[in-house]
Amino acid sequence: MTALLEIRDLHASVGDKPILKGISLTINPGEVHAIMGPNGSGKSTMSYVLAGRDGYEVTGGDILMNGVSMLEMEPDERARAGMFLAFQYPVELPGVGGMSFLRAAVNARHIEAGEDEVDQLGFVKLVRGKARDLGIDDAMLKRAVNVGFSGGEKKRYEILQMALLEPTMAVLDETDSGLDVDALRIVSEGVNLLRDPGRSMLVITHYQRLLDHIVPDYVHILAGGKIRKSGSKELALEVEESGYAGIDDAA
Amino acid sequence: MPASMTLPDLASATANSGVRSSALANWQATGWPGPRVESWRFTKLALLEGKTFAPAHDFADQPAGAGMDAAESIGAHVLRFVNGVVDPSDIENAPEGVNISALAADEDAMSHLRQMVPPAHPVSDLSLAVMSAGIIIDIKGRVDMPLMLSFEGDGATTSAHPVVFVRLFEGSYLQLAEWHASTAGLSAPLTGIDIAAGARLEQVKVQTDGQATTHLAATGVTLGAGASIDGFSLSTGGRLARLETHVCFAGEGADCNLSAIYMGRGEQHQDITTYMDHAVPNCTSNQIIRGVLDDRSRGVYQGRVHVAPDAQKTDGQQMARALLLSRKAEVDAKPELEIYADDVVCAHGATVGELDATQLFYLTSRGIPKDVARAMLIEAFLIDTIETISNETLAAILRPVAQAWMAEQETL
Repeated sequence: MTALLEIRDLHASVGDKPILKGISLTINPGEVHAIMGPNGSGKSTMSYVLAGRDGYEVTGGDILMNGVSMLEMEPDERARAGMFLAFQYPVELPGVGGMSFLRAAVNARHIEAGEDEVDQLGFVKLVRGKARDLGIDDAMLKRAVNVGFSGGEKKRYEILQMALLEPTMAVLDETDSGLDVDALRIVSEGVNLLRDPGRSMLVITHYQRLLDHIVPDYVHILAGGKIRKSGSKELALEVEESGYAGIDDAA
Repeated sequence: MPASMTLPDLASATANSGVRSSALANWQATGWPGPRVESWRFTKLALLEGKTFAPAHDFADQPAGAGMDAAESIGAHVLRFVNGVVDPSDIENAPEGVNISALAADEDAMSHLRQMVPPAHPVSDLSLAVMSAGIIIDIKGRVDMPLMLSFEGDGATTSAHPVVFVRLFEGSYLQLAEWHASTAGLSAPLTGIDIAAGARLEQVKVQTDGQATTHLAATGVTLGAGASIDGFSLSTGGRLARLETHVCFAGEGADCNLSAIYMGRGEQHQDITTYMDHAVPNCTSNQIIRGVLDDRSRGVYQGRVHVAPDAQKTDGQQMARALLLSRKAEVDAKPELEIYADDVVCAHGATVGELDATQLFYLTSRGIPKDVARAMLIEAFLIDTIETISNETLAAILRPVAQAWMAEQETL
């Protein structure tokens, strides 16, 4: 079986500063992996490197999706190949209507696949259906993208995009940050609905509490730009009890 | 006399002893403004120096231009100008409430017009003197059918000098569209808009002249008590384009919205210059200006708001923002407030920026190709300006022009 995502000895820098210092990770189809780590460990850098953000330079190693290297691919090409990043801080786009944004994203896939563009009325119906599951109302859908959304609304909107784009590899960057208990539950339920044998997820988080809701198959501890320890979901509980300090020492 | 525009056609104006001969004398004495004239510091007319243009004086029919299609889409009555000469057949059958007459025969009207249009502007003198067409459009009562002035033409050495004087009588209402799609060498429309007490004008101007055309428009607006204008210009055409508008608040309680979008690429030069003369109290002026500049294009916004000592309770706002899509594009913004009254609310601002890299990344991370993402962000930058147009009919003809510009952007 080809791994859905294979990260091989990945080194990456921001500016001239090395942040990721040799990460190797294999994610098979349908698996949910969690990456936990203290602030500054390189968690967000890893999510941006996977999505292909400018300024995050890969200095060594490789990232393969379905056996194909993604390093030369632009962010939009990666996305259309099945990569999705749920942002820690979703970006406000004043003047960009929510519906036209969602439609442009879905259409980009259709166009690449040589299919017809989505029919406007059918699309509105589809979006409304998926939005309802996430507690997103019509008024929010009509607003400009993320403008005036609360922290929780922004995160739900990220998951709505994921539901519409149906990625094969979803990276959730600190999706729990800024969420209260109720919002955390709604977002997690939305994510769990999308668990699928053909879809893998990489859940990046500082805290264990998210992993009570989105239960991972594997947990990796990232510190100082390297994976220090990997294990089952129990590893997250260990971190919860003893903190990251002990893990660092163990490495 | 400057080397350019030494034309036999001007003989008729010279023979005249009235306003036009005085305008001609002025033009002959001053010519194109040189680099030391402050108001033309950012927009240099060097490429006109030494050029000889021949103004057209007879109507020559052509296949209908884009302005005609736009007029049809909104059911407008059209006045069609080819190289500045009006189609005589359009003068007839004007809708009810609209009366069209010859300007050249009306010395008083020309004298009035001359006082309204931007002083010391070469077109104010030159186009009045040459006057390829001179018409007065009088509006009485509420006119529901929009009026379209469609300007077409061609010829690298041809110049167009249409002079239009629109007079809205007390309490009247008009929707006016102006569409420029000419490839003539020089397009120099001179426009006077006199809005009497309580009258209202809703107006859009689309400037899509050819890539080699110099478009120099001089417009003067006078607002009587309680009069209002909602004006919007979209300028994407011309090698060099300057849309200069002077507004005089002559009666209290008048309201002026005058916004503009300019878009440039290649070597284009786009200039929006406005002057708000708040001469009386209790008037409002609001200007939103947005520019998008790519390649080596250049943009200029000069906006001056003058508030006279007596003009208390003036509300004058101007906000100019420019978006540079290329490192070689440039913009000069000069918003100015000259306030001599002490009880006013005035604000101005100008910003220049580029597309936000984080916003672009967010869009592309959703699979949206970079060129589409850029177009979405440019449209977003412009959209709130277009949304200020209160008249949906007029906004509808303008939006496709901006979208076409962005669609071209995607294919470049």
